[in-house]
Amino acid sequence: MHHIRYFLAVSETLNLTKAAERCNVAQPALSRAIQDLESELGGELLRRERALSHLTELGQRMLPMLRQCYETAHAAKMVAASIRKGEAAPLSIAISHTVALNRFTPTLRELSRAFPSLQLKMHRGSGSEIAEFLKSGTVELAIAGPLGVTWSRCDELTLFEEPFGLVVSRTHGLVDRNEVEFKDLASEKLLINTGCEMFQELRACLEANGILDRVTHQLATQEDVLALLKADLGVAIIPIGAVEASGICCIPLKQLNLVRKVSVYTVAGRHRAVACATLFNTLRAADWGFDTRTKQQRRAHQ
Amino acid sequence: MTDANVSNRLEEAFVRCRDLDVPLADRLQAFANEVRRLGPHFQAAVDALVSRLAQSSAGATAPQVGEPMPAFVLPDEQRRLVRLEDLLDEGPVALAFHRGHWCPYCRINIDALARVEKKVAPDRRHIAAIVPDRQKFAMWLKSDAKAPFPVLTDMDNGYAMTLGLAFYVGDGLKQMMVSSGWDPSVSQGTDNWMLPVPATFIVGTDGIVRARFVDPDYRVRMATEDMLAALRSAT
Repeated sequence: MHHIRYFLAVSETLNLTKAAERCNVAQPALSRAIQDLESELGGELLRRERALSHLTELGQRMLPMLRQCYETAHAAKMVAASIRKGEAAPLSIAISHTVALNRFTPTLRELSRAFPSLQLKMHRGSGSEIAEFLKSGTVELAIAGPLGVTWSRCDELTLFEEPFGLVVSRTHGLVDRNEVEFKDLASEKLLINTGCEMFQELRACLEANGILDRVTHQLATQEDVLALLKADLGVAIIPIGAVEASGICCIPLKQLNLVRKVSVYTVAGRHRAVACATLFNTLRAADWGFDTRTKQQRRAHQ
Repeated sequence: MTDANVSNRLEEAFVRCRDLDVPLADRLQAFANEVRRLGPHFQAAVDALVSRLAQSSAGATAPQVGEPMPAFVLPDEQRRLVRLEDLLDEGPVALAFHRGHWCPYCRINIDALARVEKKVAPDRRHIAAIVPDRQKFAMWLKSDAKAPFPVLTDMDNGYAMTLGLAFYVGDGLKQMMVSSGWDPSVSQGTDNWMLPVPATFIVGTDGIVRARFVDPDYRVRMATEDMLAALRSAT
């Protein structure tokens, strides 16, 4: 592991002497370790010059992989140390208002079991607020719909896709219908969540289907949409993940094919505490029924 | 013969070798012979890898007998977080590192471990497999062998790396594996092309390693007889 740490230091300083100083090691030892890494990876990683060293093509190519390996192994070491010492395990995360927590509660329960000293600090917010939480370092990890951030250090990993559906209260006139069409909504009042990450896309969808003028009430959170929906102020089209826990009804709406991705967001290069590193790896390892890499990965086993 | 063709034949060979009624080492050897016969070019790359790993003493720094096994928290195939100490609360445990659900040697090995588990479980001695594959694939590996023990996911080989058990596959072998349908980047959820050296550690309830088996040649695994004996004598 120290081989990788030395190489990462050289990649940042581009100077063997400075890298050795930073790693608190003699320069010959650092050079030897990098040579070992080179023989392990099967090629030269550095072009050595007196003042400045440069990464070779192989070095450039291996850098992201080695950085990730180092971070993961470092996190695994911290987990071991933290369990040994029984340290407090703080965890700051943000979850979008539009994401139902129930899909994640089993994971959080497991985390709290594995780290009895877990101290969770959970923020809720709109897409832009979530992006700000990440940027400012208020949270280590966030779960939300598309944030639309172009910030290069923000890493996104899609967990699952969630379709939008038409939702109505249990006492609403449409509740017994097997399926409805957009024209059936011509006399309905629509509630809309302006804080939804997909607000613009939803608006465009309503416009394309000729019912944008039915938007009567604009709310800032999905929770408020659901509260007013239950009070019969109108109907709404929302991501269906929220339906299960809320005691409302979802009715199939013909030609509605609005889908959003729910992703986990992290910030590259930022230190993750043990609870966050474990949560992130658990989210990555889990099967959420969505895979961005659908290429055929297995032979027929039968 | 195309690579896809080879991989179909290897799958048939795998089933034949897995079901042989002989010790694990002989089943693994039988499969290695099939690989040698069906894909000689593949074999050369594999031999080169194994000798490279042997030269760089891969796995040599992993915990020795008498040393403590470092703690871990890893998700199992049902998304439960499993800690080493939770496993040891039950009794001594054998931790078996595997390369992945796509590896026929690992599938033969897990099949053999499933049989061992049945013999030692009544005695509160257990097995846990550790793979870099994500949950869905860990689950597949477990059901493939009808294994009663958990298959834990070690994302990015993070835990294996702290033990000095993870290595880079290498560009040449990587190409061959992809074209044969053995692409661990899909099941691992990362393009790192790192794999663990398959290794087995028998850990006593005090967390100390009682026996270990580490061989950079992934075609050779701890003999089930040795594992049984070590698990039975561990306290």
